[in-house]
Amino acid sequence: MEPFHLNRRFLLLAGVALALPVPAFAADRPSPEVVVLQWYRLILELIRHTATYSPPVASRAFAYLGVALWEAVAQSRGLTSLAGQANGLAPLPQLPGAVDEAVLVHATLSAATATLFANTGPTGQRAMTAMTEKLGAKVTEGLDAVLTADSSAQGAAIATHILAWAESDGGAKVENLGFPMDWTLGGKPSSWVPTNTADLQQAPLLPGWGDVRPFALTGELPCGLDPHPDYSEDPASAFYAEAVEVYETTKTLTDGQKLIARFWSDDPMLSPTPPGHWISILSEIAARDALPLDRLADALARLGMAVADAFIVCWRVKFEYDLLRPITYIRRLIDPKWEPLLNTPPFPEYPSGHSTQSGAAYAVLEAIFGSDFAFNDATHEADGLPVRSFPSFKAAAEEAAISRLYGGIHFRAAIDNGIAQGECVADFINRMKTL
Amino acid sequence: MKRLALLFLAGPALADGPAVPQFVEETEAAGFAHSFTGDWEFVVGGGAAVFDCSGDGLPEVFMAGGTSSSALFLNESSETLAFRKAGSSGLEMDMVSGAYPVDIDADGVTDLAVLRVGEARLMRGLGDCKFSDASADWGFDAHDLWHTAFAATWEKGADWPTLAFGSYIDRAQEEFPWGNCTENLLYRGAARKFAPPLSLNPSFCTLSLLFTDWNRSGTPALRVSNDREYYKGGQEQLWHIDPEAEPRLYTETEGWKRLRIWGMGIASRDLNDDGYPEYFLTSMADNKLQFLATPGPDAKPQYGDEAFKRGVTAHRPYTGDDLRPSTAWHTQFEDVNNDGFADLFIVKGNVWAMPDFAGADPNNLLLGQEDGTFVEAGDKAGVASMLQGRGGALADLNGDGRIDMLVANRNGPAQVWRNAGPVGNWVAIKPLMENANRDAVNAWVEVRTGDRVQQQEVLVGGGHAGGMLLPLHFGLGPAEAAEARVIWPDGEASDWVKLILGQINMVER
Repeated sequence: MEPFHLNRRFLLLAGVALALPVPAFAADRPSPEVVVLQWYRLILELIRHTATYSPPVASRAFAYLGVALWEAVAQSRGLTSLAGQANGLAPLPQLPGAVDEAVLVHATLSAATATLFANTGPTGQRAMTAMTEKLGAKVTEGLDAVLTADSSAQGAAIATHILAWAESDGGAKVENLGFPMDWTLGGKPSSWVPTNTADLQQAPLLPGWGDVRPFALTGELPCGLDPHPDYSEDPASAFYAEAVEVYETTKTLTDGQKLIARFWSDDPMLSPTPPGHWISILSEIAARDALPLDRLADALARLGMAVADAFIVCWRVKFEYDLLRPITYIRRLIDPKWEPLLNTPPFPEYPSGHSTQSGAAYAVLEAIFGSDFAFNDATHEADGLPVRSFPSFKAAAEEAAISRLYGGIHFRAAIDNGIAQGECVADFINRMKTL
Repeated sequence: MKRLALLFLAGPALADGPAVPQFVEETEAAGFAHSFTGDWEFVVGGGAAVFDCSGDGLPEVFMAGGTSSSALFLNESSETLAFRKAGSSGLEMDMVSGAYPVDIDADGVTDLAVLRVGEARLMRGLGDCKFSDASADWGFDAHDLWHTAFAATWEKGADWPTLAFGSYIDRAQEEFPWGNCTENLLYRGAARKFAPPLSLNPSFCTLSLLFTDWNRSGTPALRVSNDREYYKGGQEQLWHIDPEAEPRLYTETEGWKRLRIWGMGIASRDLNDDGYPEYFLTSMADNKLQFLATPGPDAKPQYGDEAFKRGVTAHRPYTGDDLRPSTAWHTQFEDVNNDGFADLFIVKGNVWAMPDFAGADPNNLLLGQEDGTFVEAGDKAGVASMLQGRGGALADLNGDGRIDMLVANRNGPAQVWRNAGPVGNWVAIKPLMENANRDAVNAWVEVRTGDRVQQQEVLVGGGHAGGMLLPLHFGLGPAEAAEARVIWPDGEASDWVKLILGQINMVER
């Protein structure tokens, strides 16, 4: 698709359903774009504060939320549906008549969020209720009752359709926070073994995630990747050399490298996770540039599907290779007391999940916004990490990928090949028709 | 004592493990009728304060009530447990989340720091289990906060305590409460008045505070356990609280290592007799048992987690059909079978309809063993309650030398269990000082049996929203002789004194 360049025309159109214009309303009613960004702000918090939302699970939620939003906007504006393009998505119920887009997207996201985050705790439930009620009151203020009801009903119907579709993808049910109750380790010298003493994490996270139905990938799961260097304990081997690279790099980290490692650490329960980090970037851009609703919904849907499919193929490959982490290898063969900067995630090493999904994210965003699109990233500002500036999405993705080496949790091959795997995923997303 | 020792040896045991004392629930028969109630603002809290306000040697129990009234239960136990709810003790109030006993004015009558969702209160003990609000008299500038934690110490040379109050979330924030932790406050004072509090900034939604002499420097630091569910940029904390100096955080440069958990409660005990306390931190799923990496006078505050190695991760229910991860709250070390090895009590309960975590989540009673590991015995001991636990206490409620148990449950009845043994020999020690800090808070009590010396620090704080001010209990196993000494808060050591076993021994300064 052609990169999108913002202009004033889109700002003027925001909030108005093109096919079926609706009356003017109270001036302080939130625009549909504001409604979307408010919901996504809450969703990023819910991702962080819902215990099952590890990165793969989070990516799935972003995909379904984005598709639901897109379908609402597409129907309102007569744009191309993803039905028939996204795997298994059947045509959606059609609009009954005029809708108000702010109410429509509010109802869609409210209903979808409530279901996707049904397992969040009492604070998240309270927040969702408050958002539904308070934002709902604002968007319906002064609005015709029939229009409000129709718009709400249509939003709910779209969400229901999308959620029913989601139920059949194999990723809807996550038990024990994603850790199997029983697990047999590979048993080879190269096999993954637990890397911490959390009892829950003596089995790897979500070993079956590679079987979840993808959104855009078709056929026998594509986007495989080149193998990592053959496992070897020979100091002259390429594998050993990769371990030495991790070891030596982490021993001489600069403050800047430490900051990069922490900036992209994106730990579950302590951040919006890696896919949420990219959603956060997009949200910031949308707010900064007043991205109009159709473009916003399109970007959120594409980015959500991209990171979701990236995690699916990445996880498939992770459990095929079942490779041990640097902490295991380095402590076994190089330095038994070595401590990486970051906590090692509890699943096999190859490839790097953050690299794969960042590769997919950058390539999708680049297709939408262009290859030299500069932006600031304040995702972790509230956590005390500074805003970082990037000249392009690719630059951010490359930094995210190399951060895993600085953090001491991935070898080089997992990073480089992970990015390539993500780019492959993005090709599928970029072929989908929307605007 | 011989009889007890024989019983101990003959008692039921886990396979090749410690003797399992049998706990008999006597909630109803004991007249212990109470509930901690509430919705969102009382998802945490529910603390119990255990102390003797009648002077008969049996501890009374103050229970937080949440949206219900708090209550003081007068202890009328004999062989079995018996309580009578006080009608007008002065402690009956609303919005109480927890409480800690502490003799603030050193008059020999225990006072109570009461945590509330709203203004905290300092309740002066008047004797005979009557209390009055002394907050204004003592210059206590109470803030309107969601109070969740408390700890007290006496800084070097101080005639008035230093109090730390922990708080949780800005409850006005509905859609975005995350990242809106409210401040923890440090109250210092002199001449029977508290000065305006210092803010312990940054504060990270604290659920437990503990002044503890972690490195045996003689100057307790303030350990803070924080709930990562709500903070941003937060972590567990350790504050330098040096006399006449501003509080300051231990830094990574000093060796402090970042740890981010759903911090709910702190228990402390020297488990390996090296003179340095270990800390058990409750959380969701896996819990932490921290051992100092390099104990010694120059120790850095670096801790390794040995929960997995020692069998106390307590990360999921050990009995019942619900295998989802656990949620842990109050915690405490005590020797419930008096075998000389501290046991670990953890109160469990779902936060509030959180489907990712166990709904039927039994409390843990992990029995300590000679090799330093623990073995679960909650079900065999009869205390595997599946109610929505929060606060609790292990204390000898009927003065028979066997540690009993009480648990506060959210939106459910509190429970008490009598420990029917078998147990080994025991001794209790109450250090007493004159003038300020009468209960010798942050003193260390050492009990010697043969070549072994058990050590406990006198603490006011920790747990989850509640604590005790009682003689320190030591299990002695089959030992029939013991002696003790006290390392007073200023570092001076008392002489070793012979103890009378099976009794509370006073050690006065």
